[in-house]
Amino acid sequence: MTEKQSKTAISRRTFLKTSTLVVTGTAVAYGAVSVPLLRRDRLLLRPPGALDEDIFLASCIKCGQCLQVCPPQVINLAGISQGFGVGTPYIIPREGGCILCSGLPCVLACPTGALAHDLSLGKDAEMGLAVISNPDTCLSVLGVNDLIYRLENFQKKKTSSSDQTELKDILSSLIKRLTEDEKKVWQHKFSLPEISDKTLLEILKQLETSDLEWIINFAGSSSQAQKACQVCLSECPIKDEKPIVFIYRTHPDTGQKYVWPSVRKTCVGCGVCEEKCPTPVASVKITPRLSWSEKQAGNQTRKDKLT
Amino acid sequence: MKNTSDKKNKKQAKVKSFKGPGLRSQNLPQPGHRRHKWRNIRWAVLLFFNFLFFASFFFDIQILEGTLSGSRLLGFHLIDPLAAFQVILASKIIMVNLIIGVVTIFLIYLLFGGRSFCSWICPYHWLAELGEKIHQHLKKKKIIKNHTFDRKIRYYFYGFFLAMALITGYTIFETINPVAIISRFIVYGPSLMLIWVMALLIFEILYSRRAWCRYFCPVGVSYQLIGLVSPLRIKWDKEKCSNCKRCQSVCMVPHVLTDSVNRGATEYINASLCTRCGLCVDICDDEALGYGLKYLDKLI
Repeated sequence: MTEKQSKTAISRRTFLKTSTLVVTGTAVAYGAVSVPLLRRDRLLLRPPGALDEDIFLASCIKCGQCLQVCPPQVINLAGISQGFGVGTPYIIPREGGCILCSGLPCVLACPTGALAHDLSLGKDAEMGLAVISNPDTCLSVLGVNDLIYRLENFQKKKTSSSDQTELKDILSSLIKRLTEDEKKVWQHKFSLPEISDKTLLEILKQLETSDLEWIINFAGSSSQAQKACQVCLSECPIKDEKPIVFIYRTHPDTGQKYVWPSVRKTCVGCGVCEEKCPTPVASVKITPRLSWSEKQAGNQTRKDKLT
Repeated sequence: MKNTSDKKNKKQAKVKSFKGPGLRSQNLPQPGHRRHKWRNIRWAVLLFFNFLFFASFFFDIQILEGTLSGSRLLGFHLIDPLAAFQVILASKIIMVNLIIGVVTIFLIYLLFGGRSFCSWICPYHWLAELGEKIHQHLKKKKIIKNHTFDRKIRYYFYGFFLAMALITGYTIFETINPVAIISRFIVYGPSLMLIWVMALLIFEILYSRRAWCRYFCPVGVSYQLIGLVSPLRIKWDKEKCSNCKRCQSVCMVPHVLTDSVNRGATEYINASLCTRCGLCVDICDDEALGYGLKYLDKLI
């Protein structure tokens, strides 16, 4: 007992010194490391209803309840590498955009109102705006059909054990777009009573390399080939007020006519178009928190600092 | 007592010291006394609630959703008071949900004894308890020495981080809060911030026994305040105590027992730092310590 007490007595002499060191050390080190490192110059795409970035960062309690209730599970929690705001929710549109599901459960789940509760409809969200970031690769500018593009790409990188889910996805989309007459040709080709999602697995099963070529050729000569890619619009969760319209434009130098996907005011920046864009690097990208008025002012690539 | 300083002797002379009857021999526990009863119950409760958090996301079982910073128990908001105060100070907005969450926490821990959050719910506490075992083992083998800090640092931290929230407009403590980091890890998977938690644990194991919970953690301060008024406390029976003081050797905050075990002054462990973990109840072969309800025991 006496031994124990004497031990603490000795170490207590140093405690004041050490404790002060710890307190100041923690504060200084934390401030020094965090402030320059964590103030990022690029904004993250926040879930719908998010307050302005500064007040959002202040309000978010980092509980992750928005992430728990998200039906498509597209919300992630930021780590150190995402900078300021460890544990705050964000969406990576290329990996999965917000589908603006009805009721907006993430907004309802937020206990602090960092996702503002006055937002009740997905189409009223202001997450950002879609921007055609790579017009050179955009299939609708190039006038290329998305399914044929994907089929050809699939064939190019095809190895013996190629990704069946990708092919299934392409064929499923293709079948939906076939006309009745074209379906009959398919029925004959694969000797199936009907061509639909139900028989898709049958087709996949008996599909050989030569058949894939047949499909590509078929699609190339069918009504499909005439239609340029409109995936961003067809996948957009806002259905009634088209956020993207395809307008004809004339190239100022060459006089060539081309189609331009024009983003309209109704776009909320959910990110589904970026997710579904068939080009290897998405041709359309979400600029988080870009507002319509800012875009009108010609500010398309907002990279300004948070203050 | 010859090695202790004069100051200490004087201080102890002032205190009316308590000597128990000393009738009981150390090796004779009360018949039927179970050494790990409360620890096992407590660990089961702690793991169960953290499993509920895990299950809410992994299996979509919606009983206790969220993490320890903010959650919903069957739909009712629960918000960690320190996190809530930080959010209010940082955003300068008072959200009704935050207040509801804090009040619910207050009511729950009013029933279950304030800082019982630490020992019965907090996952960091559990990891630190395992770390403490390693620490004690190494200390026994004289590989390491224990170092102590000022217990008041926790209050400085509490004030410091609240002030920082107000000044910077950002909930700074929530980014380094090991409780929240581990809780998020349990529910949503690992993050790089776990390195910081590991560093803390290693610091505790090698340098200072239970340092975070004992001296630094401001999360517990909120619960400590609830503990001041919560009736659920450790009760000490003067008649049974043989004054072996082993309770103080296992306690994370041994000074809370001083008023009772050393001075014989109070029947209940009134110090708010007591986590109601029950380690002292388990170790006490005299069964002089147990759970009790201050103010209410006599009524019942």
